[in-house]
Amino acid sequence: MEKNKAYFRKLANQIMIDLSDDEIEILQKEFEVTLRKMDLLDKINTDDVKEMVYPFELETHFLREDEIENVISQQEALENAPEVKDGQILVPKVVK
Amino acid sequence: MRIQDFKNKDIHELVDLQARLVSANEKLNAVVSFCDVDAQIKDYKMKEDAPLFGTPVVLKDNISTKGVRTTASSRILDNYVPFYDATVVKKLRDAGAIFTCKSAMDELGMGGTGLNAYTGKVNNPYDLERITGGSSSGSAALVAAGLTPLAIGTDTGDSVRKPAAYCGIVGVKPTYGRISRYGVIPYASSLDHVGYFTTNIEDAALALEVMAGRDDQDMTSSYKEVEAYASLLNGDLKGKKIGIITNVIDAIVDPRFRPSFDAFTKKLEEKGTILEMVTIDQDLMNALLPTYFIISNAEATANHSNLDGIRFGMREPGEDLNEIMINSRTKGFSSDVRNRFVIGSYSLFVENQDKIFRKAQKVRRVIVEAVDEALKNYDVLLAPAAGTLAPKPDDSYGEDLNNTFMVAENHMLLGNFSGYPSITVPYDMVDGMPVAINLLARAFDEQTMFNVAKGIEDVTGLAGITKEDF
Amino acid sequence: MNFEVIIGIEIHCELKTNTKMFSSAPLSFAATPNTCTNEIDLGMPGTLPCVNKEAVRSAVKACLATNCEVDRLIRFDRKNYYYSDLPKGFQITQQFYPIGSNGSVTIQTDEGEKVVRLNRIHMEEDTAKQFHTDEGTMIDFNRAGTPLIEIVSEPDMRNGKEAAAYVEEIRKTLYYLGVSDVRMEEGSLRCDVNISLRPYGSDVLGAKAEIKNLNSIANVQRAIEYEMKRQNEILLAGGTVSQATLRFDEATRQTVEMRKKEGAVDYKYFPEPNIFPIRIDDEMMQDIIDNMPELPKERYETYISTYELSDYDANTLVANKELSDFFNETVAHTKEYKLVANWLLGDVSAYLNKNGLQIQESKLAPIELASMINMVANKEISSKQAKEVFEGIVEGKTAKAVVKEKGMEQLSDPNAILALINQALDANPQSIEDFKNGKDRAVGFLVGQVMKLSKGQANPGLTNKLLVEELNKR
Ligand SMILES: [Mg+2]
Ligand SMILES: [Zn+2]
Repeated sequence: MEKNKAYFRKLANQIMIDLSDDEIEILQKEFEVTLRKMDLLDKINTDDVKEMVYPFELETHFLREDEIENVISQQEALENAPEVKDGQILVPKVVK
Repeated sequence: MRIQDFKNKDIHELVDLQARLVSANEKLNAVVSFCDVDAQIKDYKMKEDAPLFGTPVVLKDNISTKGVRTTASSRILDNYVPFYDATVVKKLRDAGAIFTCKSAMDELGMGGTGLNAYTGKVNNPYDLERITGGSSSGSAALVAAGLTPLAIGTDTGDSVRKPAAYCGIVGVKPTYGRISRYGVIPYASSLDHVGYFTTNIEDAALALEVMAGRDDQDMTSSYKEVEAYASLLNGDLKGKKIGIITNVIDAIVDPRFRPSFDAFTKKLEEKGTILEMVTIDQDLMNALLPTYFIISNAEATANHSNLDGIRFGMREPGEDLNEIMINSRTKGFSSDVRNRFVIGSYSLFVENQDKIFRKAQKVRRVIVEAVDEALKNYDVLLAPAAGTLAPKPDDSYGEDLNNTFMVAENHMLLGNFSGYPSITVPYDMVDGMPVAINLLARAFDEQTMFNVAKGIEDVTGLAGITKEDF
Repeated sequence: MNFEVIIGIEIHCELKTNTKMFSSAPLSFAATPNTCTNEIDLGMPGTLPCVNKEAVRSAVKACLATNCEVDRLIRFDRKNYYYSDLPKGFQITQQFYPIGSNGSVTIQTDEGEKVVRLNRIHMEEDTAKQFHTDEGTMIDFNRAGTPLIEIVSEPDMRNGKEAAAYVEEIRKTLYYLGVSDVRMEEGSLRCDVNISLRPYGSDVLGAKAEIKNLNSIANVQRAIEYEMKRQNEILLAGGTVSQATLRFDEATRQTVEMRKKEGAVDYKYFPEPNIFPIRIDDEMMQDIIDNMPELPKERYETYISTYELSDYDANTLVANKELSDFFNETVAHTKEYKLVANWLLGDVSAYLNKNGLQIQESKLAPIELASMINMVANKEISSKQAKEVFEGIVEGKTAKAVVKEKGMEQLSDPNAILALINQALDANPQSIEDFKNGKDRAVGFLVGQVMKLSKGQANPGLTNKLLVEELNKR
């Protein structure tokens, strides 16, 4: 499949990043390597094999009791925020 | 430098150590931020029998520390100061630890060289030109340089165990769920482990006692009881069954390694160890790196979606929300990290998941089943931890697809895929550089892992080595 | 309507727990912005989710109440997208293994009962709240992480009325379960409607319009009716309906297009690696089952079969849980079920409406209402007097006290009544004569005389009985 610069830029923009033309060239190469490496996976027979999502598949029973334990102050909540107004984080107007 | 050294010491001597650390760092470039040691000493109320009484400890910069900048060596977090402590930080502090600094790392844990920190290359104390390995680069360098007896790292691929090998120290990655990950800035959640560096096995065993244990804030944390690893430590190798992974041995081409490794295994046999060769299906070994690459990048791209310049971190200006996010993330992450995110995202698309992400998760299971099979008859599996000496930055092995790289440099992924405990221990010096072996044990069988490692340490006589003149 | 209308509904319901879905910070009730959070809700680096037991219990209850199969192995997934109200850049939800599936609820339609199938119920977390001002958008993370259940119906509804009945049934059920406030205006119950038209007999669905965030049940119906008409007109004119996301404008009562849908968004769902699968053990499951509250359906059936209420009365009472609870408490003290229903739906409701009160806010006590109704039934007071008594008991007085205070106490002592009867008979010999001659009217007249002498307090039933006995003696 032909994957041009625009394709990769779109891929990047979907996850809120941008890439320069040079960076896209590197990415294109890495992409080819990745796809070539997929051949190594395809050699492994995984018929009837379930995905392994966690290192151990231990079922647990733990659920957190519904008790208030950890609540932070407004000041703490906002102290790392780049822009704050009236106790809230401010961003340019967004329309959904 | 050992934890024991601080037992009966005046805590105020840490001020001198901190000064030494500051000056040594000019050569090592291993530190992101220094902690306020004076302040910690001032209200130090720990009892002398606390396990880490007066012990300086280094934290990798992806471990959240309340009031202390935590950047994960990424520009996007350059100004981020957490308002909470990671669980492991609380446990260390409660045991008496004094934090000296936050150490440099490959950005967000993504890298194995120590070349990708926002603060620049971390230097290996054995040869400043050489790399330390990564991603827990600064932590490894500082232990190896005799500037701290204990440094905390994280290990997603082999990010503790590889730099431990390149820097000639002990590197531990315990069982998945043994140490809480709460408060540790992730790379790939299903592969991430908190690990650490020491100069000897006794300290390694003690450190795990302090850090391990169930934490309700980490739902993947284990209920298994924490054993008294240090007091139960027994280095008797007689009758210990060790499987040597032949695939790794066969993949190493550096002619300097073989004689040294053979001499080492001979000494183990003299101690009564039963050594056998064990072979894992080569196709599986070849699949290790691509499987890792796919799973880790996919999880990472989601894990780091919170780094958007909205609530914390560096915000770049933009006309609208999208622009702010895109500008902040583009400037905030290195190209390498951005590339990995794109590939990770691609592998998660509905039309690709079966072929790529889920395929990798299935291969992961097949690999772990092979590890179980290989471990069935042995106390531990053993292999050289790396295929080369710590390289120099331009000794690139980049995207090489040959066996040496794929297998010799990446076999420690077996420990991350399975979650089983694994340790790197130095066994010799080759051309003035340390070389190390790696052990892999059964789930939650850290005691056996430490015992064998202790036996090895007794054989090599390398306990406590550091390189302080650099 | 020339086409068949296919309607499916997604309901998001905020659970009424103490803490968030994945963190131990409190839920906020209109609190100061950003004071009900912790590092988890803000998506700070290094945080991990921790599942709330009560949220799981609530979700299980919702599943049981809607006949869903419960998947006792709880698993979560990530839904990935970027937005300023989504702190982590993903929402933790249950895409692949919802806690409930294959459920159903029964609704009342014009054609009788109808079963609406539920596709699934899953647990997830709410987003932050945003306020759009001229200066920009302000974000308050108090709501972020609030536990939600999403209830997804099959496309089983065919008109606005059915859709409204379905939402009402779900709302009522969740309310009876006590798992949510279900306030649509305040957003604790949010409703998205999918609607498409197709020629009768066809099984190919037309383009789907999604109407987002309807804030009342009435608007669910209105929006659908408007949208049915709109799509119908387009199709009849030979046009095509485009797949779009709409909102309902209350002022114009029309649907307004928010955005065209350009293919489905890929949320790149994958299993949440930070939460191992959690098994709901037998003990917890049994405990939930044992503590299931009475559901509106069950209550309705009791009202019909045990209390013999009319279908209308039963439905109206059940729709208002507090009024219905009040009914249940009242009928514990009286057998006059029908009268209780009449009073509650009549004078009591009118009184509450007039004063802007909920039943639980009023001073009326069930036992006093029962006491008053018993007096009416025993003819101790008349219906007309009851209205006066009611005015007293809604002020918190006891029925007895009001009756006494207003001098409505009856004379029920047979000797005292007999004395008055004799007095009346002595004064009206003509009436005795009339009685003997078979003129029944005389009895009425004489009772009237006795009542007059007793100043209206003689028990009418007893008076009548004693008078007839006395007349027969003379
Ligand atoms: Mg939905
Ligand atoms: Zn939802």
